[in-house]
Amino acid sequence: VLLGLKRHYKKRCQGRMRKHVGDLCLQAGMLQDSLVHYHMSVELLRSVNDFLWLGAALEGLCSASVIYHYPGGTGGKTGARRLQGSSLPAEAANRHRPGAQEVLIDPGALTTNGINPDTSTEIGRAKNCLSPEDIIDKYKEAISYYSKYKNAGVIELEACVKAVRVLAIQKRSMEASEFLQNAVYINLRQLSEEEKIQRYSILSELYELIGFHRKSAFFKRVAAMQCVAPSIAEPGWRACYKLLLETLPGYSLSLDPKDFNKGTHRGWAAVQMRLLHELVYASRRMGNPALSVRHLSFLLQTMLDFLSDQEKKDVTQSLENYTSKCPGTMELLTLPDGLTLPPVPFTKLPIVKHVKLLSLPTSLRPQKMKSLLGQNVSAKSPFIYSPIIAHNRGEEKNKKIDFQWVQGDVCEVQLMVYNPMPFELRVENMGLLTSGVEFEALPAALSLPAESGLYPVTLVGVPQTTGTITVNGYRTTVFGVFSDCLLDNLLGIKTSGSTVEVIPALPRLQISTSLPRSAHSLQPSSGDEISTNVSVQLYNGETQQLIITLENIGMEPLETLEVTSKILSTKEKLYGDFLSWKLEETLAQFPLQPGKVATLAISIKAKLDFSCQENLLQDLSDDGISVSGFPLSSPFRQVVRPRVESRPATVSEGSKAGDLSHLKTLEAVLNFKYSGGPGHVEGYYRNLSLGLHVEVEPSVFFTRVSTLPATSTRQCHLLLDVFNSTEHELTVSARRNEELILHAGECQRMAIQVDKFNFESVPESPGEKGQFASPKQLEEERLEARGLEINSKLDIHWRIPSLKRSGEASVEGLLNQLVLEHLQLAPLQWDVLVDGQLCDCDAAAACPVGDPVRLEVRLTNRSPRSVGPFALTVVPFQDHQNGVRNYDLQDTVSFVGSSTFYLEAVQPSGQSACLGALLFLYTGDFFLHIRFQEGSRSKELPPSWFCLPSVHVRALDAQA
Amino acid sequence: MAVCIAVIAKENYPLYIRSTPMENELKFHYMVHTSLDVVDEKISAMGKALVDQRELYLGLLYPTEDYKVYGYVTNSKVKFVMVVDSSNTALRDNEIRSMFRKLHNSYTDVMCNPFYNPGDPIQSRAFDSMVTSMMIQVC
Repeated sequence: VLLGLKRHYKKRCQGRMRKHVGDLCLQAGMLQDSLVHYHMSVELLRSVNDFLWLGAALEGLCSASVIYHYPGGTGGKTGARRLQGSSLPAEAANRHRPGAQEVLIDPGALTTNGINPDTSTEIGRAKNCLSPEDIIDKYKEAISYYSKYKNAGVIELEACVKAVRVLAIQKRSMEASEFLQNAVYINLRQLSEEEKIQRYSILSELYELIGFHRKSAFFKRVAAMQCVAPSIAEPGWRACYKLLLETLPGYSLSLDPKDFNKGTHRGWAAVQMRLLHELVYASRRMGNPALSVRHLSFLLQTMLDFLSDQEKKDVTQSLENYTSKCPGTMELLTLPDGLTLPPVPFTKLPIVKHVKLLSLPTSLRPQKMKSLLGQNVSAKSPFIYSPIIAHNRGEEKNKKIDFQWVQGDVCEVQLMVYNPMPFELRVENMGLLTSGVEFEALPAALSLPAESGLYPVTLVGVPQTTGTITVNGYRTTVFGVFSDCLLDNLLGIKTSGSTVEVIPALPRLQISTSLPRSAHSLQPSSGDEISTNVSVQLYNGETQQLIITLENIGMEPLETLEVTSKILSTKEKLYGDFLSWKLEETLAQFPLQPGKVATLAISIKAKLDFSCQENLLQDLSDDGISVSGFPLSSPFRQVVRPRVESRPATVSEGSKAGDLSHLKTLEAVLNFKYSGGPGHVEGYYRNLSLGLHVEVEPSVFFTRVSTLPATSTRQCHLLLDVFNSTEHELTVSARRNEELILHAGECQRMAIQVDKFNFESVPESPGEKGQFASPKQLEEERLEARGLEINSKLDIHWRIPSLKRSGEASVEGLLNQLVLEHLQLAPLQWDVLVDGQLCDCDAAAACPVGDPVRLEVRLTNRSPRSVGPFALTVVPFQDHQNGVRNYDLQDTVSFVGSSTFYLEAVQPSGQSACLGALLFLYTGDFFLHIRFQEGSRSKELPPSWFCLPSVHVRALDAQA
Repeated sequence: MAVCIAVIAKENYPLYIRSTPMENELKFHYMVHTSLDVVDEKISAMGKALVDQRELYLGLLYPTEDYKVYGYVTNSKVKFVMVVDSSNTALRDNEIRSMFRKLHNSYTDVMCNPFYNPGDPIQSRAFDSMVTSMMIQVC
């Protein structure tokens, strides 16, 4: 037994000695020798179960083999760096492991110490060298031996680390990870804090080496936490922060918020949030509040979707606390080690869904004057349609908007915003970010309710120069963090273009009127937007003055002004000029300097149809006053004096009054085109619209119209039934007539003696107008022109004394063809002369009894053709004033010569006359009816042309 | 029996992750996250094998003191990671395999939903209840 023990001891000594020699050989660079010694040592020690030394020998064997296989070293740059820290590997090894005599040789050290790396010559000698697979097996074996000893933990760890490095070279990551996994569980007692950190750092480094980035990050984070473990008296926040930053790639986290704009967040939110929280905490403890604000805003911005409501509150709370000391900025933060932290704009607080540039309000919108030669035309291709152009246009449309902003005017951009937070969000200093033009943004503050829906926000600003302005984004201050949010970086945002042209400044016109403003909005079909509406109530036919005050409230002088009016489509027929004005007086005050006022008077004349809507013809024939056929119906008619016939309003008329009295509405738009200042030079103007709402109450109605022939053929009586539809007493007057007083709802007849009209003298409508009009339109126009002339002759006025209002009444609308025909002067003018005296009026021509009286009939042809010849018969009769006429006058009147006259054909504008003579045998009143011989008159001529005056002759005693 | 089940997208972000002891959720997040290193490694190692012969089950990814992490990868590189309690020694490899198969089938059902957008977090109730059943089974 003793011998056995002795042999055993001897073997152990030999083995240990061999191992030591091997170490020395290795240190001396005698690779081959060391391999041999190690092999022998392993064999010797294996037989005596000296496990610690066996492990060491195996490790030595491995080291030598590694040097042989990988002369470039295993550690790479990191290995070389670590060597510089400790000048001699042996020393380093001894310091680390005082309990073991094993000399650790860093394989990398040898090559750097000048061993010939060219091993090709040694390959033949390398019989004892281990194959790469064997190296790992031997390492495993060595480690398993080491693990038998609790004190050998450090060596075990060291061997693990070396094995991992070898495996990393061999690209056997899986096995390497197993070694590392084992290394993690090696229990090292009484490690100092520094060593703990070092251990985790090395682990992290090794994981990195084998491509396990996540594991590496995990251990780095553990190392970072170790730096600030509560057991450490002076926590190394700076180191912790630095290590934490290094873990970022492992958690696929970038501190640039732009990387998160690409889509929905994809990553390990819970883990990343934790890391960010730690970064915030570490940077705060480091005493760098700017950093913590930046990290916290990053956390809020990128992880918003993953934060619970409570967390959102907590994060914002702490963010507000930090920013109260150090506000968040948009500047790039640079860390001492060169890492830069890009700014974090809060694009999600609030979330902007839609951006729309608003045009100026209609009254301020600039419009381009149309030049005769559109410069656009020349730029376009000669083709009406080309797909290429259409494509270009579409592209342009995306970028540029087709309206303009004006320098110096407040311009608006509408954003639709949404608050994702579970509490009220206060956004301060919200303003626009623009480029291209100097722009004064007027910031707004808003408060969005919790989880609000889309909420419109209007941001305003004033462009200070001209050019093309691009709205790039907006600026906010939320929780004390300033953010510049660029639209390009926003996700899911809808814009309708963000580039707008700013044109030079234009003046601004403000209009106030003498009339009250109305709540009426004009018909929606009107098209233009009306800035102001005024309303007025007028009686039909009334004229009122509208004083418009023009004030230049802009900064530029007002140089030009144009006024146009547009009457909106109305069913009512309007007579005369509805709106009329004289611009000259106003323009005399121009240019209007800023702040100055000018006035413009506009007269509103509401003249609608004065007829009632019933069928006039029907009514007239009912009345029994015939207007048809031959006007010289009977001499009896001639006796009817023009008179005022008072008729009480009948029941039917009363009910008619009810529906006649309804209001009629007239609407018109007055457009003020104005310009001035630099904008005028550029050819821009502005358009201000004034809506005019006129309610027309009926004043008088002409319920009936008819004519009566007057005694003279040149004249005629126009009979008008005038109905007062107002609630006031009203007086009506026509030219040369006395006033007629009408009580409310009363209807009276009014007769006006008028000269017949020679319509041929009315100038025809201008030629160019007539060319395009249809015959029907021409006819209508002629009718209108005649109505106008008649009306001007009649000159009917009404007055309401109680209201002190007055106006005109027009018959234009109620004159029909028949009435007109009666009012028309026949183109054939007949004159009858008795004894050389023109016999046309009511007065009877006096002539002596017994003497022949000369009778002359003259015809003047005003028609454009020749007429005649005619045969005329003179029929004398006596009117007994009781409806009986006595034609049997052969005894009292005799003709000198024939009672029939002959007229030759008369050329246009020619004249013809025929002479005859009468002899009255007794005194008395006689009438002469001149009749055309049957069949002699031309059939084609209208009967009204043969309107001969009747002749009243009073035969008197010659002696008397 | 499983304490944590996770579905990881092809791009290595979680589509679904659920664990039983809610108070220590983060720990499992870390665990699953780090296990992806091993999964990646295994996939790249397998890449050379023919696609149809490939074994979807990755086996034990790594053991920790208290848990064992198993992995499974579909042909579309969607990964399933399951963390089981290492004290539960009764659990055989075959059982883990069948659990993964069940998970895979359920995931396929989720993908068949026309309203599911591939790449979005899984919110299917059927999938959720299946996972719950797998987690409760033994524990």
